[in-house]
Amino acid sequence: MTLATKNNKQAEELYRQGLLILGQQGKDSLKHITGLWQEAIRLCRENGEEAKASAIEIDLVKLHRRANSLSARDKDETARPPQDEAAGIKDFNEWGVFLKIGCFGFGGPMAVFGLLQDELVGRKKILTNNDFLEGAVLGDILPGPVTMDIVTYTGYKLKKWAGAIKASLLFILPSFIIILAIAVFYDKLVVIPKVETVMKCLGAAVTGLIVSVGIKLGEQIIKNYYSVGILIWAFISSLIFKFDILWVVLLSGAAGMLIFREPAGNNTES
Amino acid sequence: MLTLLQLAWVFLKIGTLCFGGGMVIVPLVENEVVLKYGWLTQREFIDAITLGQITPGPVVISATFIGYRVAGFMGALVSTLCVIMPSFTMVCLATEGIKKFKENKTLQNFFQGARAAIIGMIFEVGLYIGKSSIVNFKTGMIAAVALICLLKYKLNPMWVLLGAGVIGIIS
Repeated sequence: MTLATKNNKQAEELYRQGLLILGQQGKDSLKHITGLWQEAIRLCRENGEEAKASAIEIDLVKLHRRANSLSARDKDETARPPQDEAAGIKDFNEWGVFLKIGCFGFGGPMAVFGLLQDELVGRKKILTNNDFLEGAVLGDILPGPVTMDIVTYTGYKLKKWAGAIKASLLFILPSFIIILAIAVFYDKLVVIPKVETVMKCLGAAVTGLIVSVGIKLGEQIIKNYYSVGILIWAFISSLIFKFDILWVVLLSGAAGMLIFREPAGNNTES
Repeated sequence: MLTLLQLAWVFLKIGTLCFGGGMVIVPLVENEVVLKYGWLTQREFIDAITLGQITPGPVVISATFIGYRVAGFMGALVSTLCVIMPSFTMVCLATEGIKKFKENKTLQNFFQGARAAIIGMIFEVGLYIGKSSIVNFKTGMIAAVALICLLKYKLNPMWVLLGAGVIGIIS
């Protein structure tokens, strides 16, 4: 608990330092801030402060976007030495990494993110932290599990479509085999009283898990009464009217396009 | 053959619509697989989701289980591939034009609206699963403690599930 508070303080301190440097500008400052903030993000993640971590991440992306428009190619060159990267990627054939992550990827997207980063950025220096940040942002925006998205993205970065296919399949393979084995014996297993009790207890925990995911996502995404309205509408329409999910999601998306048009435009300026 | 096509269609749809991470597959599966097609009983559905949670990969792997129950090995294969296909394709395409993609405000607003709806559906499925999982004081306590541990103490879900499993074994 105390470690968590300490980490938290440190993360905030790092963030503040980054902001101070931001005031001075300069060519190296961006790299410096990126380093500090990435550390802050890591600390937040360690604490499980997902909302805070993604807030910093968004700031970081905004910052990079601005720097991009200021000096078109400078950033890319400081962030990653192009030659090294190309060489590293060409020689890359250690796809076992993805299999490994598929076996030990318990604990959600951030755990997988950490494992991949450790392997590919830290040890083998094939991708840069920036690449990873983009992957995480992409995983957040697009549908599908974030872990899966990050793995696909990494594979694509390494060897285009072939890499993406290889990475995704290797990642999913261990779970696929485990689940398949359970599915085959399910009928025999589920009649054992002990198994039934265990599954019931797990089911109760999963209920808690689902509600907690709903609340956590809600904190991140629900920012005004319009989104609350959409949320309630979707809740009711799937609970009572049993509308087809396709229409619920598409209509809500369309509503979002109309509702959020103005505030979203303002956000880019700030 | 018809069943396989139906499975493919349902899971392509689910894979395309699950904005906001792996967990959102749960309400979508409930709607399609349990309520619409009646492929699984409520009990089997909850078990499928639970199994998806306790294995290392993402929750979408529940599709493998469901596919197998419905149409054997081929069903499992088709469901799994179909559920990961949409996000796979989108990630690959988006990686090419990531800059443009991130700046497309209209698209982001669409996602924002869609996500709000998905959260509503998550609460609905929480209610649905809760109604049949929480049957006595013990299971009620497990759900409550799990919720507190996850929200307040930010515990890794893996430990919560492990704890619940241990309670199940010793009780």
